[in-house]
Amino acid sequence: MRQNQRATRLLTGALALPLAAALIAGCSTTNDPAATKDAEPVAGGTLVYASGDAEPSCLDPHVGGNYPQALVASQFMESLFTKDAEGKIIPWLAEKTEVSSDGLTRTITLRDGITFHDGTKLTSEAIKANIEHLQDPNTASSTGYLAVGKVDQINIVDGLTAELKLSAPDNALLESLSMPWTAIQSPQGLKRDQAANCAAPAGTGPFKVESWDRQQAVNLVRYEDYVSPAADTERTSTASYLDGITWRFIPEAASRYAALQSGEVDVIDNPQPDTISTAADNSLGQLDAPRPGASNRLELNSSKAPFDDVRVREAFMHAVDVNSGINALYFNTAKRSYSLLSSVEPLGISDESKFTTDATKANELLDAAGWTQRDSEGYRVKDGKRLTLKFPVSTNQSVPAEQSLFEQMQAAAKPVGFEVKIELLDLSSWYGALAKHEYDLVSAPYTKVGPSVLRILFHSDSTVPAPSGYFANNSQVKDPKLDQLLVDAEQTNDEAERAELYKQAQQIVLDGYYVMPLYDQQNHFLYSKNVHGMGETTAVSSPIYYNVFLDK
Amino acid sequence: MKLLAWLGRKVGGALVVLWLVATAIFIGVRLIPGDPAEAIMGGPGSQASAEALANARSEYGLDLPIISQYFLFLAKLIRLDFGTSYSFKDPVLQIMGEVLPPTINLALLALVAAWLLALLFALLAMRANKFGQLLGNAVEIVAAAVPHFWLGAVLIMLFSSMLGWLPAVANGTAAGLVLPVLTLALPIAGFLTQLMRDSLNTAMGSQFALAARARGESRLTVFRRHGLRHAALPALGLTGWAFSSLLSGAVVVEAIFARPGLGRSLLSAVLARDIPMVTGIALFSALVYIVVMALTEAIERLIDPAGAES
Repeated sequence: MRQNQRATRLLTGALALPLAAALIAGCSTTNDPAATKDAEPVAGGTLVYASGDAEPSCLDPHVGGNYPQALVASQFMESLFTKDAEGKIIPWLAEKTEVSSDGLTRTITLRDGITFHDGTKLTSEAIKANIEHLQDPNTASSTGYLAVGKVDQINIVDGLTAELKLSAPDNALLESLSMPWTAIQSPQGLKRDQAANCAAPAGTGPFKVESWDRQQAVNLVRYEDYVSPAADTERTSTASYLDGITWRFIPEAASRYAALQSGEVDVIDNPQPDTISTAADNSLGQLDAPRPGASNRLELNSSKAPFDDVRVREAFMHAVDVNSGINALYFNTAKRSYSLLSSVEPLGISDESKFTTDATKANELLDAAGWTQRDSEGYRVKDGKRLTLKFPVSTNQSVPAEQSLFEQMQAAAKPVGFEVKIELLDLSSWYGALAKHEYDLVSAPYTKVGPSVLRILFHSDSTVPAPSGYFANNSQVKDPKLDQLLVDAEQTNDEAERAELYKQAQQIVLDGYYVMPLYDQQNHFLYSKNVHGMGETTAVSSPIYYNVFLDK
Repeated sequence: MKLLAWLGRKVGGALVVLWLVATAIFIGVRLIPGDPAEAIMGGPGSQASAEALANARSEYGLDLPIISQYFLFLAKLIRLDFGTSYSFKDPVLQIMGEVLPPTINLALLALVAAWLLALLFALLAMRANKFGQLLGNAVEIVAAAVPHFWLGAVLIMLFSSMLGWLPAVANGTAAGLVLPVLTLALPIAGFLTQLMRDSLNTAMGSQFALAARARGESRLTVFRRHGLRHAALPALGLTGWAFSSLLSGAVVVEAIFARPGLGRSLLSAVLARDIPMVTGIALFSALVYIVVMALTEAIERLIDPAGAES
């Protein structure tokens, strides 16, 4: 049975690949030594993927909702919407959508003929069940929960159509529903207890979860009844080329790379910058897929001294030399950003002039701010207090190259008179330090599709901690004018006005020296030369292996 | 009778130690920063509502006074109930049952490998000339001193990346076991050899060894029949220590070679603030240590009954 299907796919797949790849490639770039476009797609084989991230405790990305979950769930779950190559939101599991003129009713109609891995049909009931699952406190969703925050009520209109009643207009809703953290799974599956659903969520993706051997691998196999919503591919059989994916967790970067070199694994994530820069020489393919949402950046805590003084914030921007550090430590694999938003966000603005390295200017600003004395170690002092910046760094989120970059900043800020105190912490302790406001500087990546991430990061509401102590506005910007811009930007139904409002909002944050952008959230993948068709990603830049094949 | 008394003393002592360890763990995990309820509700940075956090606290008994929590904890331990893992929502004992076999497998193989390597080194050292002895000594010291993460990385680079003989990460085959076992075994072999060589030199230079050689026995036979027993004794005392070093080494080695196991579970449990998992693994490690120490003591008594009495 399986053999026959494989043979047909072998004949028909060749033409479809470049076309389909162009459809949802997002803004990723590949460097493929094996010249993918000439390769003839071959069905069969199991791809071995090695992730450097911590193994999720739950495969359902509704629960919690972090990037490692999104990476693996992108293979077995799909979203209502996705992004095309230009970054435009397009329907995926949804067929069409419209919004009422007051912006308070969003109607979504699903594609017909799609079935979940558990055999049940995709109907409008699934939209209701999934959004309610995200909103249920027992699900403990953090990412998806915020994304559907404005949905008050879901009404079933007919078998394929549902109507979302919103508490306020939300032009970011489709972007929110394009993320794997709001992906659609079988309502039948959701009715199981959480542990069962976590072990094998039933989605609609090209692969399904066959088994999960904890600490070893998540075993994904081809979903034979997969129907690709990308209707214009010329593939007659719409199942994946690969028989399956073995999703392994190899925490050590050196082991992961060695396993790729020796052919034990086919694709790795989180490679070290030096191995990315030499990938082509080692006949490895490379996929660079920056994550959407915010750029990787330092946030300056403006709610307390010394960064409550804008002159001190500005002085810090000029005191450090970020560019030479990035070039040296990232081997030209990361590009300096001057934007609050990722380079894949079309509405992001850049302002390079704010971030020049200029020690003289930094010294003048600090003198003017009253930090005129120096102590015996050369640090500036004011009213008997040293100019100290607490900088908790998450070893979980900051790779070694980034930690080194922070150390270089620390050294560069010293002659100007800043004492930067870097503290390396595990994730829980790091969140603990932030919750207690024990930070002046912090790097806290945030991934979300679309510019509405700006409201999460810079609206004054986000300075109010959740019951867990977590808050997203680490720079502690509290500006009524900015708040208004961010709210208005989310509610307008005029694209041009939306872009203008977000532009003004970003300019306020940049002008206030609250944030020092560093680079895009790095998201690189290396793959061996027998892997073809890499490049397609979801809206959050997690690779999809639907069109990938092996020529073993 | 004497054996029963010895056993009774051992078991009684073990129970006291376990109680102390359990109490230390109970206090220790409460000193780690981070809210346990948050760890239950999806980890740090969660958006869980106040209500959801309160539910989690009452479900796991975290809202009780600390002294009630302590006695509840002890009462459960007596029934061998280690509770439910915060992150996996499965019973701790069940998860430990899954991850224990690969770690025990690894540790036992490494222990055997370390003994074999140590015997080989000792034998070689015995036959070596002055320069060879010096070289052997240097190798032992280096082997005993290198950290696991460095040794593991070097072995991968050498045997996997450069020579391509062995897999870099565990794959369920015997070949995949070689590098992790070597990484764990080499430092212990270094220690064992040093201990063995000293006593071996003393034994082989002694009157009875000389007499045996005079009777016409070969050096190897003398080594096997007389030297080994003397050499093994101090090394055996070290085996209890070695086994506990293997368990802690497993944390590093399992991460480097991406093997499933107790060490890797401990690491992720600590990072996720999964208190029941941490408690379970720590108590288990203490138990293993106690059992192994008792076993080595028993074996020592068998080999050298006179020594044990003193």
